[in-house]
Amino acid sequence: MTDQAPILIIIIPLMFALMTPLIGWIRKNLCYPWVLLSLTLSALSSFIILRTVLLRGIISYKLGNWDPPWGIEYAIDHLNALMLVIITVISLIVAVYSKKSIQREKPDKIVHFYTIFLLQVTGFLGMVVSGDLFNIYVFLEIASLAGYALIAIGDERAPYASFRYVVIGTIGASFYLLSVGYIYSVTGSLNIADVARLLPELYNSNVILTALVFMFAGIAIKMAMFPVHAWAPNAYTHAPSAVSALVAPLMTKVAAYLMIRVSFTVFKPHYIIDVISLNSFISWIGAAGIIAGSIFAIAQNNLKKMLSYSVVAQIGYIALGIGLANSYGLTGAVLHIVNEAFTKGCVFLAAGGIVYKLGGCNIADFKNLFRKMPFTMTAFTIGAFSLIGIPPTCGFFSKLYLILGSIEADQWTFVGVLLFSSILNVVYFFRVIQTAAFEKQMSDYSREDPYEKVPMDEVPLTMLIPIQIAALGILLCGIFNSEIISSVIKYAIPPGL
Amino acid sequence: MKIVNLILVLCIGGFLIYGTLDMPRWGDPDSPASKHVSPRYIQKTVEETATPNMVTSILADYRGYDTLGETTVIFTAGMACILLLRNSIRKNRND
Amino acid sequence: MIDFIIERYNFWIYVILMMIGLYAMITKRNLVKKVIGMNIFQTSIILFFISLASKRGGTLPIMKQAHGLENFPVDPSAYINPVPHVLMLTAIVVMVATLGVALAILILIYRKYGTLEEDEILKRMQ
Repeated sequence: MTDQAPILIIIIPLMFALMTPLIGWIRKNLCYPWVLLSLTLSALSSFIILRTVLLRGIISYKLGNWDPPWGIEYAIDHLNALMLVIITVISLIVAVYSKKSIQREKPDKIVHFYTIFLLQVTGFLGMVVSGDLFNIYVFLEIASLAGYALIAIGDERAPYASFRYVVIGTIGASFYLLSVGYIYSVTGSLNIADVARLLPELYNSNVILTALVFMFAGIAIKMAMFPVHAWAPNAYTHAPSAVSALVAPLMTKVAAYLMIRVSFTVFKPHYIIDVISLNSFISWIGAAGIIAGSIFAIAQNNLKKMLSYSVVAQIGYIALGIGLANSYGLTGAVLHIVNEAFTKGCVFLAAGGIVYKLGGCNIADFKNLFRKMPFTMTAFTIGAFSLIGIPPTCGFFSKLYLILGSIEADQWTFVGVLLFSSILNVVYFFRVIQTAAFEKQMSDYSREDPYEKVPMDEVPLTMLIPIQIAALGILLCGIFNSEIISSVIKYAIPPGL
Repeated sequence: MKIVNLILVLCIGGFLIYGTLDMPRWGDPDSPASKHVSPRYIQKTVEETATPNMVTSILADYRGYDTLGETTVIFTAGMACILLLRNSIRKNRND
Repeated sequence: MIDFIIERYNFWIYVILMMIGLYAMITKRNLVKKVIGMNIFQTSIILFFISLASKRGGTLPIMKQAHGLENFPVDPSAYINPVPHVLMLTAIVVMVATLGVALAILILIYRKYGTLEEDEILKRMQ
């Protein structure tokens, strides 16, 4: 059974997704427990995989029992296993949360919503688990198509935002496919391990340079990196709350994983750093993204839009860490992926809860929210602390590693950018928290005791518990960060950095 | 704006052409693509998969998992269209 | 020089097609034209892969010998490379699926705004 865990992690959500319409045809209410069951099983198999990888090292799973360069192979090392756990856990949390929120927002589309939800998770998992360049493209498209559809069912402006995502996302995926073709034309192979073995001899050819640049461009588009981020904020703002909480933390992180995989496994670090020195370019773009994303976020009045720009900024941190290309920087980048998945999950879930209760998420309407929804806002504050980088949360440690990496690389500008960005984060989160905690409704001033008149009005339990679990995840990742690094991330760093 | 876009597109195209300069000649039987992995598919197709059509044998056997992904893409697209359009179809019928 | 061009013009033609598609995607203001550009773009990639498959002197990747001749020696250069064809079968399906979803979204947009001109839609959003 444990030997088959790598395929089970794909097959379970896929088969459950195929059966969801049937289940929904029998009884609509069964869909929700059905999805929870599937994601629980898939989370279990991801934990089994992580355990196996920790005990026995890299897993290679041959599909159809064809040997790797001929057939398709799953190659799971520590980085993949960690990503699998993050994806399954976050999607399980979001699935638990989605019940009330989707009942409120799209009551007549529950069955198909859950079908596509599972397919989206399948796409993410398939991209992460696969060891074949073309197979990654196929699953990338599954995840993207599901994402386009889920975003398009949001509010009034969602279809147009989703259409822009379709156009830009297709350019990204096509660039990726093109560079797979370029790599295929000079190596004749699609398997990542095989390509990595063949490439070093070809490092001075134009084909490989073009392939690398276009692969990076394609992934950067999917990742919502700074100059090509234009699709992201609108798409995440107008999507249904449960969808923003699924797509915003995961799609960008899976693409970030792909970027790490491409720069350090498909191409060797030697090529990226010494031969073409693309890495410093990536970190400068990352640094620009941090500043630009944060400044755009400050200018927003809508909470979800502010958080979406914050996604762009946080992707900048990951790109900065990848570009530093030393062990501290990459540790910071991977830890930041973990941290960001939980943090963005948490804050988007909390934002969804606020939308559920207030009907909108204009920051100006948040007065007295801390009294109305104390638990949700506490979780939101923890998420905000993590984004700012305040010690017990995970964000502090990932930023610390990024700063250490910048110091090691002698890039004092990046240290400045990282510290300055924390101040910018304080600015935009402080505005929300200040409005929610300290500003009173105008009418309250006339009363003797203004506090009594604000009854607690929390979101339902099925929404509150996932929010709390995500917040707990942030704290746990922060407290146990050294364990995570020493047992998993340390092995995910390619040797020689 | 159109000029900027045109220049951008020309740059991208120029870069892609720059990449093709080093490529193996078109139709070269000795190119890596024809030498490294594919000969096995051609030589062993009948022996290993009992299918004379190599495209079929790769599609359904050697790289069958890709085909699973492909059918999933179709399923996703179908479900996506239902998700997006179904409600409004019903509403139109009621009108 | 002429040889150099003849050896590569196939790849260049796909680049030109790709530029046409990309230009339409990012410049045209009509959403359907964007979708058509997207299709041209993806088609050009298919042409590129198919050009990789060709071998001078090779024929279709279907065995000439029928069953019963399993041990008959086969010359790989007699058949063109089947792998890109397989990949492109999958890519065509992906392309069609993307087109379908894009058109479904366009239907939604049209129902909401009554137009598919980007400028009009942006004006109505205000």
